[in-house]
Amino acid sequence: MVKWLEKYSFNGSKALALVFAVAAASGDGTGQIFAQEATLGAPADVAEIEHLPRLNLDNPLRLNFSGSWEKDFQRSDKWEDELSRMMTIRQERSAIQSTGGTGVLGPSVSIGNINLNSSRARGSSIVDLARLTEYVSRQTTMEIYQDRNEVRIERRGEADLVCTLAEGPTETFSSDHGAEMCGWDRQQLVFRTALPGDLDIMHRFSVSSNTKVLRMVVSISSRDSAPFNLIQAFNRYDASSGPFNCIQTITRGKVCSQTTILE
Amino acid sequence: MFSRLTSHIFFSTQPSFKFCASPTFFLYICILLTACGQTAVEPKVILIPPVGSVTLNRSIDTPAPEQQLDIGVLVFETKPNGQDAQRFGDWVFAEIRDNETHYLPYVLRDTLLDSNQWGAVRVLPEFDPSLDLQIKGTVLKSDGIDLHLQIQAEDSTGRLWLDKVYADAAYESDYPASTRFTNANQFDATGFVDPFQDIYDQIANDLLAVKKTFDTSNLVDLRRVSQMVYANDLSPETFSYTLNKTIDGRLLVSSLLAENDPMLARIEDMRLRHHLFIDTVDQYYEALHNEMQVAYIIWRRYSFDQINEEENTAQRAFNPDQYGRSRSFLSLTQRYDRYRWSKIYQQEFRELASGFNREIAPAILDLNKDVHGLSGTMEEQYIQWRRILRALFELESGQEVSAN
Repeated sequence: MVKWLEKYSFNGSKALALVFAVAAASGDGTGQIFAQEATLGAPADVAEIEHLPRLNLDNPLRLNFSGSWEKDFQRSDKWEDELSRMMTIRQERSAIQSTGGTGVLGPSVSIGNINLNSSRARGSSIVDLARLTEYVSRQTTMEIYQDRNEVRIERRGEADLVCTLAEGPTETFSSDHGAEMCGWDRQQLVFRTALPGDLDIMHRFSVSSNTKVLRMVVSISSRDSAPFNLIQAFNRYDASSGPFNCIQTITRGKVCSQTTILE
Repeated sequence: MFSRLTSHIFFSTQPSFKFCASPTFFLYICILLTACGQTAVEPKVILIPPVGSVTLNRSIDTPAPEQQLDIGVLVFETKPNGQDAQRFGDWVFAEIRDNETHYLPYVLRDTLLDSNQWGAVRVLPEFDPSLDLQIKGTVLKSDGIDLHLQIQAEDSTGRLWLDKVYADAAYESDYPASTRFTNANQFDATGFVDPFQDIYDQIANDLLAVKKTFDTSNLVDLRRVSQMVYANDLSPETFSYTLNKTIDGRLLVSSLLAENDPMLARIEDMRLRHHLFIDTVDQYYEALHNEMQVAYIIWRRYSFDQINEEENTAQRAFNPDQYGRSRSFLSLTQRYDRYRWSKIYQQEFRELASGFNREIAPAILDLNKDVHGLSGTMEEQYIQWRRILRALFELESGQEVSAN
């Protein structure tokens, strides 16, 4: 359901209208708000309105991920704890198995006394996967930019994760060193990276309905092994945008202009 | 390489994995990623021999008047590149290709003028009926290393002079150190020779070779046909009888107007005015070329470096035989880091591509500024102008008929 609200504020002979489209939640109680600025008033202004960007209602409405996010260590998984928890589960399973239980065999584990049913040629050990998961998700802050077309996740030292807001999976990168695809699973943003040697990395982003908490789940698996999952929580914070706006040019390198905030 | 993607992504038995998966989405993504990993069917590659090192055939003396054919070089076209739409965000490269279709014809125009073998040479947005020879080009491939152009040249009689694919390759030596941007080194394009100048020299030489097969009478006839084609374009009902089409589709002058025919004088007057207009149009393309030149050359240098880098990294690509036995943490991080850096490099290159388009956007806007009170894009203004001239000719001719 899309509900339209109109709010007017008059400025001279022209009226500034902010048209909000509020998308009701499709199931998880969350909604996305887009604002469109239009000029109303004199009949001649109708032509101006015609030229304004319009909401493309064919594009699915998405939750707003944009903002500056910092890791909430309290609410984030620690990879050692998560590894330990997985080990305990597997130990218990192997204990059941050794005592004649009918537990289903888990994927191979290759450390200590729980290195059971292992075949090192099958995949990486769960410890290595856990360490890699921590390595991949080590950033403590991230910046997310979102517009009508795309969402861009910037993390220091990492390539940006960029995805369209449209439906369906999209190939975003491919090279001899790996390929990446992205897509939306309901309101969750998913990036899946396939690296050589059947190494598979998945980032799954979701944001709370009040858009104050962002959750990132990183899952890494290798060959037939079960994935190692690490959940990270991020809180929104106000990052000062700095006094400069910079754009990339060819002949002058990065060109920055100073922004002045008018009172 | 990635033929065996993990299929266990469909389930998650780990309690900590709290987000439920949508099987439909994963089905899509698995199929597509699997497709990426499989050996793609490579498009058939047609090798075009590069033109090599070419010396432009210049004339020291000004050619005889009948040799001075007027040439129009039309804004090039691009061949749709299937790769443009493959990846999200790659449209930025399609935009570069669109922009260079305005730039490259100007380099050819300069080369033809430099050869001093022709009359006026202009870059035009559309086919022009007032000229002796028109050159159409299609950019088949263009990057920092390769330039492939399909060139067609046809004279006003409909005779095809050229229909050929040209290729040229650039080398490190074609890009002097000054073309690599640093803050301390601002590139100055004065005296810079285009890395693909050989391709333009070869096209100019090939055109000249065709012209040399014509004797003076052929060239005089050609210019007469051009004159009558223009007259026909102005007023087909008045001048259609002056031209005949041969069996092979070529135009011949069947009836000449008398030297002192006032109609002929009026046509020449109109043609002169039209040429003044297309001179102005050509100046706009010159301004665009000058505005674009520095950014374009540096962009090509980036492209040259990027392609070389890609080729180098491809040689260091993953070798399953080498890595298959090693699945240690070090091996995993190495694999991830290679992927990460190749993606960062590609994203920076894409950012530079956006920077190039952003930088030349004002020049493209300038190109479409109003000329002689006309409005719209350069193509639209050109069409408007031709309509005005036709109306003017009809008006003047009508007045004369009523006066008589």
